[in-house]
Order: sequence, then structure tokens, then C-alpha cells
Amino acid sequence: MPLDAPVLFKRVPTAPWGSANERIYVDYDDYVAQDGYAALDKAVGMSPQDVVAEVKSAELRGRGGAGFPAGMKWSFLPPPDGGPRYLCINADESEPATFKDQILIQFDPHSVIEGIALCMLACELDTAYFYIRGEYHHHREAFERAIAEAYDRGVFGENSRMGKINDRAPNLYLHRGAGAYICGEETALIESLEGKRGWPRIKPPFPAVAGAFARPTIINNVETLANVPHVILHGADAWKARGKGRPDGAPPQVPASFGTKLIGISGPVRRPGVYEEELGVKLTDVIERLGGGPAPGERIKAYFHGGISMGVISQDEAEQGVELDFDIGKKWNNLGLGTACITVIPQRTSMVSMARNCARFYSHESCGQCTHCREGSNWIYKMLSRIEAGDGATRDLDMLLELATSMGSMPGHNICGLSDGTNWAIRTIVNKFFGEFEAAVTSKRTVSLV
Amino acid sequence: MAWITKNSGSTQIERRDEPYLSDEVKDAFNKRYAHRYPSRAALALPILHEIQHHHGWLPFQAIEEAAAFIEVEPSVLLDTATFYEEFFLEPRGKHTVWVCQSVSCEIMNEGKITEAVREKLGIEPGETTDDGRVTFMKVECIGACGGAPCALVNETLHENLSPDDVAGVLDALE
Repeated sequence: MPLDAPVLFKRVPTAPWGSANERIYVDYDDYVAQDGYAALDKAVGMSPQDVVAEVKSAELRGRGGAGFPAGMKWSFLPPPDGGPRYLCINADESEPATFKDQILIQFDPHSVIEGIALCMLACELDTAYFYIRGEYHHHREAFERAIAEAYDRGVFGENSRMGKINDRAPNLYLHRGAGAYICGEETALIESLEGKRGWPRIKPPFPAVAGAFARPTIINNVETLANVPHVILHGADAWKARGKGRPDGAPPQVPASFGTKLIGISGPVRRPGVYEEELGVKLTDVIERLGGGPAPGERIKAYFHGGISMGVISQDEAEQGVELDFDIGKKWNNLGLGTACITVIPQRTSMVSMARNCARFYSHESCGQCTHCREGSNWIYKMLSRIEAGDGATRDLDMLLELATSMGSMPGHNICGLSDGTNWAIRTIVNKFFGEFEAAVTSKRTVSLV
Repeated sequence: MAWITKNSGSTQIERRDEPYLSDEVKDAFNKRYAHRYPSRAALALPILHEIQHHHGWLPFQAIEEAAAFIEVEPSVLLDTATFYEEFFLEPRGKHTVWVCQSVSCEIMNEGKITEAVREKLGIEPGETTDDGRVTFMKVECIGACGGAPCALVNETLHENLSPDDVAGVLDALE
């Protein structure tokens, strides 16, 4: 059943409730006129533990890609010991094909700011850093304007309506990144914030114990935080009324996919853009109903369903009923839901070129700390370039799969997840479209077997 | 070469008498940023952005001055600067064109956009025109996939580009 009313996009016109052309910056007054900061006022009267408990019982899972429960992350923090505690907001949205957070940052920044304030209140964090990627220029200006409005109206600063948090005046600062994909990894983000190279750290210690400036730190995605005001204002039960719960009879420790999700659609469809739908919606339904179906003259071959690192879904699988929820990885043999921003791959596009594009991305964005990520991604890129140029051999395909598997399937061998992403992207493309690769390396065969 | 930090062989590090970071710039910067971070080293990215905003790139002398200003070794700041793609350690053109080359744009014919820019400017990606007017860069996903193929021209985003648009966009630059 289609979503009856937008939750996260309440103030951002989006089809079918409005047109993307009507989007305007929602300033403080407009935001307050539409329930804005009501959740913050409610939370000021609650104890921090109750706010965390509410988010925990809502089972709000992180929207940045991994789907880690936000409430649980918040409860990992040690109790305040008098020193500063930080919140880092991850707005380094660099996963290829992902463009959902930028809509919130650009048009409804106060929903993010309210979520930030709620998180600071709940976790007793005194300073928040909004780490935005360097390429988001007008988004940065919009967000800086919103921060200034929030200071003027007593959300942050000496006269904050939240009073003192952790014995300090709460502050929110914008920190601009400088074009590095890896800085979206949480510990790399912290390193970058501290003024160093964006090199992920070895964990433990986890950021909740020793993060930014070696102090307890929470890192959340923009969309995750923007959901928090709704959870606090309307309660966990209203939040759990949407989305896909656990199957009947499943015990409560089975993770579920509650709530709505921003879904981006790009590639050759009639109406590309960012939409909101309940988790558990069918992939084909999203493409047909929201995206308007394939563009004239195009036939769909496959999808990147959540940024390239999650792997591909073929059109066959999609027609068998792929649903966008946090279980997608287990059911359809890929890494997970990711950012739920879908790229449609048409028939005319070669999967070899897609794999080559992904490999180039990873070899370019690998930070270079772990050998098999630095060397492996570059090696895969060179092999795929060679195959694409028509100079491949059958043994290259085995080598490709072996390389990809050994890059990302050995837990504990990598500092971060970038090489896992390489593995899943390359391996799912090669496995699911093996015929195309075979045809590319066999000069006599020119027809794809898929 | 950016990595050479002192005169060596025939390579000369360019220096000038006038400092890149004037006292006014330092004061304004301190007022705006210093209270935000618990350590001065965390000012690295903001100060590098500040220098690049004023000069278009990061001259070595400016990195030295900035390092003294944020109380770290010049090598540390240089190390940080080399990691990030947005920082230029060599002079670039007055304008910079960044053409996105990630999956959505490639599917939507980014190749033709790149070809059009290449033809119009007569340079390859990574190069600057001889008159120093435009630098042409290819870049990974710039987060505007709904409007693929897209390009950033300085700080302005151009979406749904067609090869025919390219000449107009480039001609509009001063």
C-alpha cells in the first residue's frame, strides 16, 4: 500500500503530494508553523534516559547504510565524567548514486537541526559538528543560514532553551570536508575533523568511548537524525505503524524495518528524483509508481539499489519481488539496503563498463592504509579496463572473483568497510551477469548469454 | 612539485615577501573558527579552505604560514592537504569545471559531455587551458544523480546537461 502521508518530507513538496519544482527553503518560522521544534520542547521536559528509551523502542535504524539501531548506539555512551562529549553528523554523502540527504539539508534543514538538538539532549552531548562534503556548496549556505536562525531563536548557544548540557552551552558548528569519499566512514570523519588525513581508525576503541578529540562521540547520518523529531513527538508506536515489522511469531530480537525511507531514483526513468516510501516497498513498484517507469525506448537490465557498494539486483530478481527493507541483503545475496538510492541500469549499458566504473571509484577513493584494498581495487580496475577494451581472457574472470572475494570476505582484515564494498559491487555484478563478462573475454562470442 | 619543500637542484620554491595570511585574515579567521574546536590542529581544513578561497590554490609558503598559525609542523599540514582531492597544490585556472563520472552520469552519457568539454577547451581532464582561464577535472559522484549527467562549474551545479549545452556554459564564464 502506498504511503498515505509524507513523514520526513512533510515540508518538502514531493510527488505524489506535490511537485519538486515547488521546493523552497523552509525557514525557522515556517518550520515552527508546521509542528517544528515541538518535539524539542517536549523532550526538554523529559529525562535524557526517557528520550533514548523512546528512540530505542521505536527501533529506528540508521539511514546511512549500515542500518545500526540508533537508540542502541546512543546507549553505548559512558556516563558523563565532566569532560566534553561530541556529536558528529555525517553529511558526507559521497556514495555514488546517493543524493537523498542533500534535499533535507537544502530545503528542510531545521528538521535535521531539531534531530541534532534532540540527540544532544538525549545523550548529553555539548558540541555537534555537521560534517558536510566539500562539493555541496549551496547546501552548505542553506545549512549555515539555518544554524544562524537556530542560534538567534535560542536553540543553541548561551541562551539555549535546552539550558546547559553536560554543564556547557550546546553548540552546533558546520565543518566542511574537502572531497574524500572515505570521510563518510565514521572514524575517518573524526580524523578529518581533527585536521588529519581521512584515515579510518582501528576499532576498538569505538567512537562512543574515544571518538573525536579522544572523547565520547556519537556519529549519525542526516536522515536518521531528521527522523528523531517525529519519533519523539508522536511516540514509538506511531513510528512503528509504518514500514515492515518482523514476521508473525518472530521474537523481538529479530531486527525489523520500521518507518519510512527516502528513496532516490536516478538513471533512465521518466521522473528521477528523491521520494519517500515505507520500508518494505517493492522495488518494481518504486520504479513504476514513483519513477514513472523506464524512459521512452529504454529497457531495464539491473539496479544498484543502495549505492554501488551494496551490489546489484537484476531485473529478473526485481520481478520476483525484491522489497526495499533491511533484509534485502540476506534474501537477494548482496550487502544490504545501503542508502536506498536506486540507479537504474538500462539494457544498452554494458555491465563490464559498470563494474569498471565501480572499480575505478574504489581504487581512486581507497585511503591506502590496507594493502589488499589499495592494491586490489587498482588491480581489479586495470583488469576490467583490459577486459572492456577487448583484451581479456577467461582466466581473468576467475582472477577477478578471487581478488574481490579476498578483498572483502575476510572479517578483521580491513580497517574499514571500503574493501567490502568493492567486493560486493564487483562480485555481484560479475556473478549475476557472468554471461556478459564471458562474452567480453571470448572474442568469437559476441552475444551476451544473459 | 608540491612535495618539494625546499630549493633542490633546479627546482625553486616560489616565495614572496608579502605574507599570504595577513593579520586581518588571521584575526577574522580566529574570531570565526578558533572557539569551535578544542585543538588548534583541527583548524587545518578550515584554514586550507580559506587560503584556497583567496588564492585559488595552496602555495607552499601559504601552507608554511598556516602551519605556524595553527601550531603544527608544515609537514603535518602538507600531509593533510595532499589527502583531499579538493585542495590544489599547483596553480589552477581562474575557473574550474568538474564533470561527474560516476555510475548514474556514465549511464546518462557523461562520455559525450566530457568529449564536448575536451573539444571546446582543447585540453584533457586534469589540465588547464594555456591562457590560465579554465581547469578541467573529472570527479566522482557529486550528489546530484537525479539530474545526471551533471557538472560543477566553480560552485554552481549544472544538471541534465546535453553536449550542446556545454559551449554555452563555458562561454558564460568570464
